[in-house]
Amino acid sequence: MKENKLTLQDVKKTFGDGDQQVEVLKGITLEVKAGEFVAVVGPSGSGKSTFLSVSGALLSPTSGRIMIGNQDISTLHAKELNQIRLKNIGFVFQSANLIPYLTVRDQLLLLSELEHQTHKEAEKKADGLLERLGLLHRKNHYPEQLSGGERQRTAIARAWMNDPEIILADEPTASLDSERGRTVVQMLADEVKLREKAAIMVTHDQRMLDLCNRVVYMEDGQLISKPSV
Amino acid sequence: MFLALREMKHAKMRYVLIGLIMVLISFLVLFVSGLAKGLASDNASSIQTMNADYVVLDKQSDQRINRSQLTDEQLKEILHSTNQKQRTEFGLQMTTVQKNGEAKKTDSTLFAVDPKGFIAPQSIDGQSLKEGNKNEAVGDLSLKDEGFQIGDRLKEETTGTVLTLIGFTENQSFSHSPVLHVSLKTWEAMHDGKQSVNAAALKADSGKAKEIEKLVPGVEVISKNDALKSIPGYKEEQGSLLMMIVFLFVIAAFVLSVFFYVITLQKVNQFGVLKAMGAQSGYLSRTVMYQVLSLTVVSLAISILLTFTVSQLLPASMPFLLNVPLVAGCSVLFLTVSVIGSLISLYQVIKIDATEAIGRAS
Repeated sequence: MKENKLTLQDVKKTFGDGDQQVEVLKGITLEVKAGEFVAVVGPSGSGKSTFLSVSGALLSPTSGRIMIGNQDISTLHAKELNQIRLKNIGFVFQSANLIPYLTVRDQLLLLSELEHQTHKEAEKKADGLLERLGLLHRKNHYPEQLSGGERQRTAIARAWMNDPEIILADEPTASLDSERGRTVVQMLADEVKLREKAAIMVTHDQRMLDLCNRVVYMEDGQLISKPSV
Repeated sequence: MFLALREMKHAKMRYVLIGLIMVLISFLVLFVSGLAKGLASDNASSIQTMNADYVVLDKQSDQRINRSQLTDEQLKEILHSTNQKQRTEFGLQMTTVQKNGEAKKTDSTLFAVDPKGFIAPQSIDGQSLKEGNKNEAVGDLSLKDEGFQIGDRLKEETTGTVLTLIGFTENQSFSHSPVLHVSLKTWEAMHDGKQSVNAAALKADSGKAKEIEKLVPGVEVISKNDALKSIPGYKEEQGSLLMMIVFLFVIAAFVLSVFFYVITLQKVNQFGVLKAMGAQSGYLSRTVMYQVLSLTVVSLAISILLTFTVSQLLPASMPFLLNVPLVAGCSVLFLTVSVIGSLISLYQVIKIDATEAIGRAS
């Protein structure tokens, strides 16, 4: 039995107050184990972004329990959540969201800078990651000089930089054609297996689903294992 | 400072341009301050450099030395209640002089002092005033530029007295005219003993000053600073220049704050991503602060260098005075203003939500 990397127990999230309350997540339960790559698919407005924000310690749930590794993060303060994100969670955003004025290598080193790690070690680690993702020849280039796929690969390398327990990817293939998109997702999947970590990918790109271990569907704030249609 | 430096390096043009504006503004601040200081000195250096704390004037003088007239009784009382180390009386009269019978008239201010008193000037060229010698005068160095020389005979217009110029003094002007110092004896002789002295200078603490004001009827004791302000034109000159300086500081604050505000607004998405990755608001605020401060410090350094270079090139007759305390004061104020200007951006940075990064194409 492999350990759980991410556990959500009956997580609810409500926005607004008084009469204007909208329940976006209506009790979500999910377990993601080490080495597992889970895809979350659903129409827009189904609550995918909120699900990702809550799982990624960006938002606190209204009720329910969220565990990353063995740590319960549902009741932590904003500052503590910051640290959790920095140390335990790697993000891959839609359209990469790289910092425009940092070179590929500096994008990675920024993470270690935020964690006050020593520079020498971080540089070694960054170069290692870039090599595995086939970006070493691009390490001194700025994001504007990269292709879409290279940008997304840089974002993946950045997400692994601090050895997180779990990677959360928000439509990582949205700005890529299917071939490049597939390569990028494949790389993500390989890294997850290699490192025995976990990953969740929110997507509506059906072609990528065969690369994932498990697919869950999101509809109207609830997770179901098969789509209703 | 990882982010701050790399960003400024990447967007060089942007930061060089805003830096240039800051250089120009701070240069203007320093230049106008130097001019204000120079004008103040040109106007009233004889009072500024006067080795005294208080001035005793007659009550009806409206705090103006040139209007004041101390009566013999008042003077006697003052002499009675102070010792020689504490007070020295002086006369003052604005007049014109003619050199060696030439037709050209030169404005000057006659200052009658006790040659042994503590406000008597030391000559930097030629001789100083002496107790016994009559009809001798020492003049401000600017007279030399107007063609006066030691040994020249100067005819004072109102009394017709002819004075011999025996030396030059430094930083002695009153109401933008050079001061000619004469001894009290000469002063008395010039006016046939009818003209009494205008005022008395005091070297004493405020207690003594108040005591004299109470003791001697019909006099007012004002600080040297107040006496300065009451010199004709002094307050007006300084006031308008000060207003310019204050506005320049306000403009500098606005330019900086608007620039960084706009830049921060452009980077909202980016800051959201950084926060999502785990960067603290404090770290990001420090980045912005570091950029503001380094921009200000570099601009200031350049403009200080520029100001000193320009001040070397100015003609000597231009009233311009720049000293270290003035530059240091302006610099500190400039830094403070830039920090205040960046607060609005810091607020913006702190307000940005990490969830901005999710579900968004940049």
